[in-house]
Amino acid sequence: MRDNLAVMMKDVVKRFKKVTALNKLSFKVPEGSVYALIGPNGAGKTTTLRILSGLVKPDSGEVKVLGFRMPEEKEKVRGRISYLPEDAGLYQRLTGWENLLYYAMIYYGRDRANEIAEQGAKISGLSKKDLSRKASEYSKGMARRVAIARALMVGSELVILDEPTSGLDVFSSYRIRRMVREYVNETGSTVILSSHNMLEVEAICDYVALINKGVIVAEGSPERLKENYGGRNLEDVFISIVGEGS
Amino acid sequence: MSLYPVLWKELKDMLRDVRTLAAIALMPLIMMPLLGISSIYAQQLQPGVVVVVDDDKACGSIGNILNISSSELKTQIIDALRNGGYLVITHEERNNKLVPDLKVVIPRSFIANLTSFNRTAVVRIVKNVASSKADQAVNIVNSVLAQYSRKVSEAKVEYLGELSSIKLRPDSVLNPILTATVFVGPQGGQVSYAESIRIAIARLLAFSLIFVTTPSTAYITDSVIGEKERKTFESLLATPVPRWALIIGKILSTSLVGLITGLADAAGLILFFTLPSMTYGINMFGYITPSLIATHALAVYLSVLASLAIILPLVIRSGSYRVAQTFSLIVIGLASLVFFMALYVDLDKITPAIVRYILYAIPYTHAVGMIEHIVTNEFSLVTTHLIAMLVIIGVLLWLSLKLFNEEKIIYSKT
Ligand SMILES: Nc1ncnc2c1ncn2[C@@H]1O[C@H](COP(=O)(O)OP(=O)(O)OP(=O)(O)O)[C@@H](O)[C@H]1O
Ligand SMILES: [Mg+2]
Repeated sequence: MRDNLAVMMKDVVKRFKKVTALNKLSFKVPEGSVYALIGPNGAGKTTTLRILSGLVKPDSGEVKVLGFRMPEEKEKVRGRISYLPEDAGLYQRLTGWENLLYYAMIYYGRDRANEIAEQGAKISGLSKKDLSRKASEYSKGMARRVAIARALMVGSELVILDEPTSGLDVFSSYRIRRMVREYVNETGSTVILSSHNMLEVEAICDYVALINKGVIVAEGSPERLKENYGGRNLEDVFISIVGEGS
Repeated sequence: MSLYPVLWKELKDMLRDVRTLAAIALMPLIMMPLLGISSIYAQQLQPGVVVVVDDDKACGSIGNILNISSSELKTQIIDALRNGGYLVITHEERNNKLVPDLKVVIPRSFIANLTSFNRTAVVRIVKNVASSKADQAVNIVNSVLAQYSRKVSEAKVEYLGELSSIKLRPDSVLNPILTATVFVGPQGGQVSYAESIRIAIARLLAFSLIFVTTPSTAYITDSVIGEKERKTFESLLATPVPRWALIIGKILSTSLVGLITGLADAAGLILFFTLPSMTYGINMFGYITPSLIATHALAVYLSVLASLAIILPLVIRSGSYRVAQTFSLIVIGLASLVFFMALYVDLDKITPAIVRYILYAIPYTHAVGMIEHIVTNEFSLVTTHLIAMLVIIGVLLWLSLKLFNEEKIIYSKT
């Protein structure tokens, strides 16, 4: 049963000893869309994305990813999603190219690895020469670009990106945004991302969910949200909602 | 298939750091021969000091059969001690700078007592209890005295025989009972003198396993904690790579370090025998057999595999190098305990039985067992220990897989 939803979360609760990270969080992500989670630090974005990736078990609530129940069917989900953690690193002693090749092999096996990694090289926008250098020699932005490419190149049905463009220069973020948008348009896959960059969210996302203290406090297309909260841009919306709440 | 990418990446990652690998291979190559000759060298570098004093300065004879003198005995003692590597000082040239380990005094009337038929001659030995070298020197002096004493008693018996006109052989008077010494192996079977040496060597080899378990545990720590610190683990855990492939891939690749140490250890083993042979002209090559070298290398490799299998589940849940290294240290400590015990006791003979069963649950016991039984050609016992070791490693790997928990890994404290 796919009911055209890439992701469905219902009343999800996740507690760490004293902190309640997610407090009955619910939202749905339609297939073929770019969906953004925005919210202040500590709101629960990373926790949500980790639950979707099958790395963290919710205490209660219902989670479905690509029609599979999580975490029970996480093994089936793993091959169909890719996940970029918020501070994902690269293997320092391997070259950028080898970093791509490793994941290409994991997802596609040895035979198709080169072809997939080529794809990644293109997405990263790094030159052949740069890709043949060891990752330990990369700047923060270069490393991030390889990490994003690693997540996008495998062509997953659902791509989960935790703050994909943090630490990137204006030009690189712009490129990545365009790649994400194109990726969704061309493949019909779904991207769910978290971001602190309102400009970015407005530019590429079909839907935005504002999350605060572990619950969704507002949801809709950027246009709808601006309309409903009477802001000129998403930043105004964000400030008015989160400001009211705290 | 799923294992290939992990192995590919881990090996690439490891082999990029050739210097550390070379250092690891070098360690046993240096340690083993050092272990072999250090004891001998130590003795050479720091000779024990013995003072030999002749207060009697007398001659005597037993009938017409034997002429003896105190100076002759003194010379024999001095020669034997010098051959044994001791610094010998006679009374005349004695200076006060050296504290002797031992003092040997031939007292007055020694020769008179020795040649008489109703008194006993005494040699006084003053032993420095704080000295580790004194015991050996006492042994040397005693063996000279025993020989001398024997010579004198043979002469006395012969002389008495002459006087009493009894036809006699000194041996049948002095030594009516003969003992014949045979060496027995750990299983009670008779072994040759050469085999008794091999058993001693096996114990030393088992002990040397201490040196090989350490480097590979450092590698597995780096392989896991490194992924956590450089934030590569979380994205890897979200990929379809099977958990077993991660565990086996990491263990197999880091066990390559074990393979390198195993081979280096075998090479070191050969050096271990070569150096003393060249330096002291003792031929010890007869004692190393291909089967001993092969078994030793296998025991090394399996000990490394076992260490990795024990440490991995602990390390995988610890957030920092510090915690991980503490765990590794505990495991290595446990291993060292077994290897150290192997130096002194036969692990298969320990009582009460409960202690033995506890030891059998520790994989290192079986590595020791393999080495100790191969020298006595007890192949079925070698095989038993080998199988036991493989089973324990298998159980540990299975536990690793059962204990694998992504959430605990991601949220492990740093
Ligand atoms: N291991 C942990 N132990 C205790 N509390 C935790 C742990 N991890 C997260 N939390 C808490 O859970 C809440 C949500 O954290 P989360 O990382 O999901 O926030 P976030 O929205 O991603 O924030 P940011 O924008 O800073 O990345 C926070 O209050 C945080 O303190
Ligand atoms: Mg976060």
